[in-house]
Amino acid sequence: MTEKNNISRRRFIFGSALSFAGLVSGFISSNKALAELIITENGNNKIMSFAPSIWVEITKENEVIVTVARSELGQGVRTSFSMILADELDADWDLVRVRNAEGDSKYGNQSTGGSTSIRTFWQPLRTAGAQAKKMLITAASLIWGISEANCYAEKSFVYEKNGSRKLSYGELIDKALTLPVPPTNSVTLKKSSEFKLIGKTKWNFDEPDIVTGKAKYGSDYRVQGMKYAVILRCPYISGSLQSYDDTNAKKVKGVLGVYQMSEGIAVVAENSWAALEGRNALKAVWRQNSNFSSEDIRKAFTDKIGTLPNLPANTSKFIEGVYEVPFLAHTTMEPMSAFAHFKDGNCEVWTGTQNPQTARSNVASALGISQSNVTVNVMLSGGGFGRRHDNDYVVMAAKISKLSGYPILFFYTKEDDIKNDNFRPASMHAFKVGITSSGYPSGWIQKVISQGDVSPNNPNYDVPNITNQTASERFGIRTGPWRSVDYTQNIFVNESLIDELAHLAGKDPYQYRYDLTKDGRLKNVLKLVAEKSNWGSQLPKGWGRGIAAFVGYGAYIAHVVEVSISDTGKLKIQKVYAVVDPGFAINPGNIKNQIMGAAIDAFSTALNTEITVKNGEIQQSGFHNFRWLTMEDVPEFDIDIIHTSETPSGMGEVGFPSVTPALCNAIFDATGIRIRRLPIAHTSLVSEVEKKSQISNNVEFEAVPTPFESSFKVSIKLKRWNQPKLDVSIVDILGKKLIKTLIEFDGIRYIGEFSFPTIAAGTYYVLFSDGIDSYSFPIMKK
Amino acid sequence: MILNINNKNYDIDVDPDMPLLWVLRDVLGLTGTKYGCGIGFCKSCTVLIDGNAEQSCLIPVRFIGTKKITTIEGLSNDGSHPLQKAWVEVGVSQCGYCQPGQIMTAAALLKKKPKPTIEDINEEMSGNVCRCGTYNKIRDAIILASKE
Ligand code: FES
Ligand code: FES
Repeated sequence: MTEKNNISRRRFIFGSALSFAGLVSGFISSNKALAELIITENGNNKIMSFAPSIWVEITKENEVIVTVARSELGQGVRTSFSMILADELDADWDLVRVRNAEGDSKYGNQSTGGSTSIRTFWQPLRTAGAQAKKMLITAASLIWGISEANCYAEKSFVYEKNGSRKLSYGELIDKALTLPVPPTNSVTLKKSSEFKLIGKTKWNFDEPDIVTGKAKYGSDYRVQGMKYAVILRCPYISGSLQSYDDTNAKKVKGVLGVYQMSEGIAVVAENSWAALEGRNALKAVWRQNSNFSSEDIRKAFTDKIGTLPNLPANTSKFIEGVYEVPFLAHTTMEPMSAFAHFKDGNCEVWTGTQNPQTARSNVASALGISQSNVTVNVMLSGGGFGRRHDNDYVVMAAKISKLSGYPILFFYTKEDDIKNDNFRPASMHAFKVGITSSGYPSGWIQKVISQGDVSPNNPNYDVPNITNQTASERFGIRTGPWRSVDYTQNIFVNESLIDELAHLAGKDPYQYRYDLTKDGRLKNVLKLVAEKSNWGSQLPKGWGRGIAAFVGYGAYIAHVVEVSISDTGKLKIQKVYAVVDPGFAINPGNIKNQIMGAAIDAFSTALNTEITVKNGEIQQSGFHNFRWLTMEDVPEFDIDIIHTSETPSGMGEVGFPSVTPALCNAIFDATGIRIRRLPIAHTSLVSEVEKKSQISNNVEFEAVPTPFESSFKVSIKLKRWNQPKLDVSIVDILGKKLIKTLIEFDGIRYIGEFSFPTIAAGTYYVLFSDGIDSYSFPIMKK
Repeated sequence: MILNINNKNYDIDVDPDMPLLWVLRDVLGLTGTKYGCGIGFCKSCTVLIDGNAEQSCLIPVRFIGTKKITTIEGLSNDGSHPLQKAWVEVGVSQCGYCQPGQIMTAAALLKKKPKPTIEDINEEMSGNVCRCGTYNKIRDAIILASKE
């Protein structure tokens, strides 16, 4: 085998082991261990591999195949699971291959969410590795006729301690198969000091395939004779199909069929482009059942606040107000897609999903077949973030395959993906919090209003007299799990409120937190992040720093964020310090990657992004109006992991929640402006003082939103300048230039109009210069 | 129509308006080039056309003519391009889906500027979205590759 083939085999083993072995006669069971057999030329069975449990298989060629029953979304589960098992097995890491489990109840719960994978599989995978190793050592001891104590395992070989004999695991499988699998409670697991892989960084197992384009995601599945499908869905949040005309769609070259289904109108074609062109040519009339807008939701939520109860009598000062967070889309990098082939009553699926078991049952019930007739093979996902818990796209692929008779790759465009997402819920958090004369909390009242999908979390600190309330008003906007779920709203609110209380009490926000908890692990991350960041030291003018912490998913984390804000209100996130206590750190490098990624996720959503509704339609449609930070905007990171011997925890979500409040607390430190509504773009960061100083004698500025959507009329009067045209730019709060335009001098002032329909609502700045000074004025796009 | 991709000629019969992205992915099965948005706002579909980084989702295939296309599959035979090696060394990828586009954009940058400054890198890479937030690692890897 060439080196190249080796690599691709090493990295990608899909489906069951059976699918790559050629002349396979099946698995036999021997004392509960399984063997893969092939029939040799002379008709005898030859053992090819040995599987002491469903988690590991050892081949004749001395490869170790680890079965991973949670989905890889970028959180590193294929790597970390393999490390855990391979370490207890004393396998040679270079001989480890990874196989994704198909959706099947025999693997236990395969739902990849809630950062539970490591916590659930840590012990079972170690045990599986130890069981296999024990059998291989016993096999060697029997072959050599020596005691097991005189054998040891290292890098996929068993060695004789006082001698020179050695046998590879592959050479031992025939003998091992004759042995009983030791009971799970009979094997001894390693002490953490004995780990060789666990605790040391291994980068993404699939990296060599990713960087050469070989890695296969759900949308990359290709097979002879397959067709491609897209769907036209109702543009309204609530609506239905009235009528449609597919005459022109069917005329598009490559279009094979148009099918009406409950989700919309599907177009099947020879390739993705023909499917999209066919869809463009469809004429559909939709019935609209409601036409509310975001402002209606805000108003309805506000109306539900009512009167909050009173704080305890020992309250000496209090604050009350409202925090608000918007709906958010997942916008995974890879839009939802799935391959399905319905044939002869069976359905074969290949996709990236966070739950292949529900994909299997949902497909079975949609097609009216039994689950045993559905195979769901799990491929890589180009991001998950909670979106792929809903297998709507898998079901649509299966239905279209059944309707059309073809093997189908169904996909959402980015626009479909955003508009038909299950969003992170929006919520409004009315609060009343107070302090006693000592400055510490006297009581904490919070009422969360949502579509019924968010309820408050208590703060992480020792706060007495907590009252939590909820209220709901439903608009029929679909919501679902989104990285860190309710913590994304609740920790933003709680950690901002703790900050508000510290300032109300005239105390340092770090010390206040530290004093308000008895939890040693929380104290520790707070203390270390404060030390790391030189908390309390002088920062340059215009800078601010904020702190926040989070406890959850079995882990502890604290963040300090440093920002700078220019005179004209432009924000730069300068630096992030994070200290995480993950319990036992299995793969430290990957933990840092996750903490960094989650923080950038939090910054993007805090600054710019929200899903809004206008007249019953979702307004966002792509990366241009639902924006993520790009390279030039990301801050420097300084991340520390505290190594402890506690049980390991999940790392996919823990890095998000405390970042948003640390950022907003830093903005407060720099400007005195408290962000109570996300995204931050809704709030001008130009302080009142600076606003006044800008209206100098040299310039008069006016920007009026026109009655037409997304456009502004601008009028600028300058004392020192009268060129025929003035160069004007529109920048976002990070100073990124979005529009550059020239406006005309009409003899008195510069007048012009600009429109920016594709840009999200929020604060932007109009920049221009009179040749000596530069001016910047905030405008608010609704 | 003949397309030269990764130094190989392909004779294809497709709608000349079809964007290069879909020709690569669906017609030729070169799925290393990724679809992220289809409208020019993410650059996960980036390929090299005569050495320049271009968004394959925006280019109808009829505009290609005799220009030479390089996709991630053809950047090297065996993953030995300095950027590919640097990516593996630094451990850039999370989900990995944006990375072929990131690498192709970076490859064009290194061709123009073998020793880019941080500002050069930020500017050139600024249109490439990574939803997993691997930007700092991407920058580290480009710097590492530029030292080779
Ligand atoms: S897919 Fe081409 S820019 Fe997004
Ligand atoms: S690594 Fe997932 S989008 Fe970049």
